[in-house]
Amino acid sequence: MRASLFITCYNDTLYPETGRAVVRLLERLGVVLEFHPKQTCCGQMHANTGFRGEAFSQAKRFVRLYQEAETVVIPSSSCVAMIRDQYPGLMDELGTDTLRKEFDELLPRVYELSEFLVDKLGMDDVGAYFPHRVTYHASCHGVRALHLGERPYKLLAKVRGLELAPLENVDRCCGFGGTFSVKNAEVSSAMLAVKLQDIVATRAEYCTALDNSCLMHLGGAMHRQFAGMKTIHLAQILASTEDSPAEAVL
Amino acid sequence: MSASVTSRQRVLDRIRLATQSCAKNSAGRAEDYAKLPRNYIRRSQPGASVRWELMIKRLREYDAEVVECTPDELPATITAQLTASGRHSFVAPVGLPTEWRSTGFQWKIDRGIDTSEIEQAEGVVTAAFCGVADSGTIVLHHSSNEGRRVITLLPDWHLCILRATQLVETLPEYFDRCLQPPSLATYISGPSATADIEMTRIKGVHGPRFLNVILVSDENVSVLDKDAVQTVSIPAEVGSLKGR
Amino acid sequence: MSSTASGHAQLDPRLALPFPEAVLPVLRNPQLRKNVAHAIDVIQTKRAKLVLEKTDWQALRTAASAIRTHALENLGAYLEQFEERCTAAGGVVHWAADADEARKIILDLLRQENASEVIKIKTMTSAEIQLNPYLQAAGVDVFETDLAEIILQLGNEEPSHIVVPALHINRSQVREIFARRMGLKGLSDDPKVLTNAARTYLRQKFLSVSTAISGANFLIAETGAVAVVESEGNGRMCLTLPKTMITVAGIEKVLPRLQDLEVMLQLLARSATGERMSPYTSLWTGVTPGDGPQRFHVVLLDNGRSAMLTKPVERQTLKCIRCAACMNACPVYRQTGGHAYGSVYPGPIGAILTPQLMHMEYSQSLPYASSLCGACYEVCPVKINIPEVLLELRSQVVNQERKQLTRIFDPMYLGLLIANLLFAKAWRFHLAQRLGRVGLKLFTRKDEWIHSLPNLGAKWTQTRDLRGLPDETFHEWWASRAKGAK
Repeated sequence: MRASLFITCYNDTLYPETGRAVVRLLERLGVVLEFHPKQTCCGQMHANTGFRGEAFSQAKRFVRLYQEAETVVIPSSSCVAMIRDQYPGLMDELGTDTLRKEFDELLPRVYELSEFLVDKLGMDDVGAYFPHRVTYHASCHGVRALHLGERPYKLLAKVRGLELAPLENVDRCCGFGGTFSVKNAEVSSAMLAVKLQDIVATRAEYCTALDNSCLMHLGGAMHRQFAGMKTIHLAQILASTEDSPAEAVL
Repeated sequence: MSASVTSRQRVLDRIRLATQSCAKNSAGRAEDYAKLPRNYIRRSQPGASVRWELMIKRLREYDAEVVECTPDELPATITAQLTASGRHSFVAPVGLPTEWRSTGFQWKIDRGIDTSEIEQAEGVVTAAFCGVADSGTIVLHHSSNEGRRVITLLPDWHLCILRATQLVETLPEYFDRCLQPPSLATYISGPSATADIEMTRIKGVHGPRFLNVILVSDENVSVLDKDAVQTVSIPAEVGSLKGR
Repeated sequence: MSSTASGHAQLDPRLALPFPEAVLPVLRNPQLRKNVAHAIDVIQTKRAKLVLEKTDWQALRTAASAIRTHALENLGAYLEQFEERCTAAGGVVHWAADADEARKIILDLLRQENASEVIKIKTMTSAEIQLNPYLQAAGVDVFETDLAEIILQLGNEEPSHIVVPALHINRSQVREIFARRMGLKGLSDDPKVLTNAARTYLRQKFLSVSTAISGANFLIAETGAVAVVESEGNGRMCLTLPKTMITVAGIEKVLPRLQDLEVMLQLLARSATGERMSPYTSLWTGVTPGDGPQRFHVVLLDNGRSAMLTKPVERQTLKCIRCAACMNACPVYRQTGGHAYGSVYPGPIGAILTPQLMHMEYSQSLPYASSLCGACYEVCPVKINIPEVLLELRSQVVNQERKQLTRIFDPMYLGLLIANLLFAKAWRFHLAQRLGRVGLKLFTRKDEWIHSLPNLGAKWTQTRDLRGLPDETFHEWWASRAKGAK
């Protein structure tokens, strides 16, 4: 099984440890990983802010880059949602028939991380060990765009030593929303405050999710407030074993 | 008025221009309409007693008072209801069966009586067109035994008589029962209520605060039959609307 | 007792503050946020229970979406059919191209009736065209009859929700308003008592005022009927007792056939108030001799709707049946309430409807008043893909900005153009990462976190820290690992 890792622009820059965890995890499971050195961004930020032409140029680049890949794995549900939900419209509006065809052929081979593990590799026990109390935040794109459903829970259930604390209003938006966090910073912060109440109430040591975007926002407030809790991407939990426990996290 | 005529043309022209790539002619519209996906439950097939029980349950959920009786018992049941209400003057639709107008009470038969007279009445007694069990809805088509709309609006107490044969389970079944679409209708699914103040539900704002229903059995549903009632899982009949 | 002239300046998109500014006083008002959250939670809980019970819920949504789409695609024909049938049944149909015309038509009709007073059923359409202040200024006393609308009218307040417009006001605030404006001493704040005060206040009005104004939930093309759904009974009062009835309705309200109500009515109350059916649904067609108003007028309102019909992505906005499920589900609305949207249509539907009704000349901040979480789309009974429309409108706003000279002063605009250039070539992106790493060192403290940034960055750091950029990007790590392996 070969998989090409699309790390995402923000993971590459801000959360390389998540990428390293994905590599450790997938290689442990026998996946041969590739990394295309020319990758940059999927175009979500531009599409979501209204810069469609610009988003299209990035989408085109992505499609061309991964034409030959057997599978593409992406540790970010919002980026996969961008590719699944918005690329078709961009292709129709601004692309050629050829490009659209290339995209249509690529799309079934693109996986979010938990989809890759559960659907493609057919596994939920990845041999992980993470002896901590953890709560899981269900990112909006994962829930409503990708319909991930039970996949992350199945994976978490098999992590040895992990105690999962259920989160109230688990799928309520954390308030990040990309540029929304800056364009509407005050509302974003109000939503964050309300979400944090639920998260802190779980008394978990870690808050995990499939998107570092949410975690950057939640974790940034936790750090500011000395909240006694940290965030960690699910990939890092799944990569963690007795021999190599998860790297130092936020 | 000429400004309005021009506006009519303006608006329709705008619409026509905007929908020129998708609007169909009459035949195309009818064809498209017939093909619209209607995979919701259009009819359920429980026994009559299930409908009956469900209707009672729903009516009681919104605090309507419900009593059941056989056709023979109906006049006496009406009298009992009227007596228990403590009220004396009632409005009756002009087509209300005479035997439903119990003696010992003051009846104002609505042959177009004044609003002020209706306002002074303490209650009203009517039949209904249909009852929809799923939502506990009473359907009035304001025929002669249901009365003008005002008489079920102003008095504070409304007694409605529904026969078991008039019950359907689903809203689509009600519409199927209409031989032609009614031009006037009121669907009552509870006493008037508001939740505008702190979402606290308060009953009885305008419109009757008290709704009493008499359910009259027929051969299919016996009042004694209740023990035989089972809740069946509803086999849904799905598909397109029956043509008309 | 006459009403005040309640202007809707706060909810006039032409005058409203941009959303990021408008939210500030609300976010600092815990009482208001609590009132909104409480109201939403009540409806959401009831709705969730009923949706679970309705095993064909998704099939109903699909049917409703299809019916509404079909009606909009053929809107001209269905409107003409409605007009013909309504007229044949004794109604008079008027067409208003915009708000101004609609107001004039209605005032003319009132003048014909010599009406100095009018009773109203709650209708957001009339708020959209700012009817009340216009009529008041022309010497017509307007009496709202919905409890929430009375509270707003007497309290000189603005609606903040399209189904429960006074949800931002709690009981003691209502008590204060009623005591002051109805001149009632010793009024308690028990909702039952307050509701009774309203009932008494209105009873005489219902029985004496001879002209009423309503909106419409649905217009039925097949028969020319109008349907109004309500809870309190004030609607039935207004459309039964007066001599003249005027209904103002957006052109998008039309359904092809009466039987289509079998779908819409199952969805509407469950979505709007968490009930299987609202207490009263009234259906009438033109004029019925001897029963109800003998003069009936319908004012069909365009006011920007026809412009939304051209593109399917925009057209879907008009499927809306005004249930407000979207705003009840919206995590943004939960924190801000409705006023911050600067429109009588707030929340997710407002964010897409308002700018479009204004031909994208106003309310450009509204399409951005969303984190794109998708909760609205999930609950919309007619499956409006609100996030999709938001994204479309955002691109229209940006395309407007592209033509403006001042765009070069907008740091967000510049930043995004630059980012696009960087993403186009890996070497540029990598260079920017290295420069960023160095540049941000200035702001990175000993704990390896950034606590404060200037300019746009300050918007982040006002409430959140940011971890300093790691010394090695992922791709650098991968490259060195590959080299090491060799």
